[in-house]
Amino acid sequence: MLGHEGPNVSVSGFDGPLELLLQLVEEKKLDILTVRLGDLADAYLARVRALAALPADEVASFLALASRLVLLKARSLLPALAPIVDEDEGESEEELRARLMEYAIVRERAGALGDRLRSGERQFHREGGTPVDLPPRGGEVTALAAAWSRVLALAARQREEDLVAPGERYSVEERTAEIEAIVRERGQIAFSELLGPAPTLGWAVVTFIALLDLYRRIVIDLVQDELFSDILITKKERPIVTETPA
Amino acid sequence: MRSPLANAVEAVLFVAEKPVSRSEIAKAVGATPKQVDAALLELAGSYAGTGLRLAHDGDDWQLVTSPEQAAAVSAYLGADRLRVSPASLETLAVVAYRQPVTRAEIEAIRGVNCDQTIYTLMQRRLIEERGRREAPGRPILYGTTWEFLECFGLASLDDLPGALTPEGGVVERPGDVEGATRP
Repeated sequence: MLGHEGPNVSVSGFDGPLELLLQLVEEKKLDILTVRLGDLADAYLARVRALAALPADEVASFLALASRLVLLKARSLLPALAPIVDEDEGESEEELRARLMEYAIVRERAGALGDRLRSGERQFHREGGTPVDLPPRGGEVTALAAAWSRVLALAARQREEDLVAPGERYSVEERTAEIEAIVRERGQIAFSELLGPAPTLGWAVVTFIALLDLYRRIVIDLVQDELFSDILITKKERPIVTETPA
Repeated sequence: MRSPLANAVEAVLFVAEKPVSRSEIAKAVGATPKQVDAALLELAGSYAGTGLRLAHDGDDWQLVTSPEQAAAVSAYLGADRLRVSPASLETLAVVAYRQPVTRAEIEAIRGVNCDQTIYTLMQRRLIEERGRREAPGRPILYGTTWEFLECFGLASLDDLPGALTPEGGVVERPGDVEGATRP
């Protein structure tokens, strides 16, 4: 509240009035259940006098308890005084005792928690770590193996592209007409068959573009059962051949 | 041998980075909450004497390392030991054993102003706000956090050490000794 480090830390090391009272009980080795709290008034006041250096609002809380103790003492010395005092004015000795006992328990628990903390036997959970973009789940090992064998086959094949003399030209229009004729005649054909056993890069590109064009004109349908498997080209049932590409 | 359901629950908790509620687990493993309860119980038992344990805060469950392995894990993570002042520990004790609890109730028990210690404990994520009491002024209620359970090596709040009374007897349950809570 006032910004000082750790509230209520007094010059004599007391956290608050209850702690001071509890300390007195313990120093005198008294039973908290049976001690007459009024008897502690003198000792308590002696300690509070030493707290002169405390801020006023904190001294006030110590003094409030001191006045309570003095009243309890006065009552025990003059039993006839007791009925006169209005009980609503403040807490009775039993109420104060109950508060003191509860505080004693809290302090005991705090001590037990502190011991646990000092023993260092704590738990840890799995840390999230730096978030990474994970690849999509559900990769297929067999697909990977199949891809690997195709790569091996490619590597084993002669690099014919390098050997073929330049100047070879394919026309997309010609190839489109060719594929359209094959599909019309046979109904379906595999992409690998269209490419032939050892296609050159130019041949493969032209064939592929022709297929895309036919697909766009809804002449053919393309089916691929799984990732990287062969593409099956089938004749579209209702071909629209009147439209020509721009 | 553990049941397949217990194994499924373990797998879910293993990949979770935060506590998982019982209903979330039930949904993930395709079982009823009651079956999940049984599986969690089985799983917790199977961790006895291992480097892991099952911790829970209410219905939220998490897989954590066992307190006995704290030294090794701390060394690996380079974790610092938490330091808490005696005053803060007292406030923490009140919150832990009496939660949910208001600031006024903490102060009534400790007999001192607790603004600073509550602030410190909030900063360290050992306690957190748990809504408001439906009473005049709607005071904020405080409760302990997952971090609290972890820092003190508690599998759940049921594991809170029983406190000794000044007479030496053990107070069985929090709140057995009713203090005079002043208005």
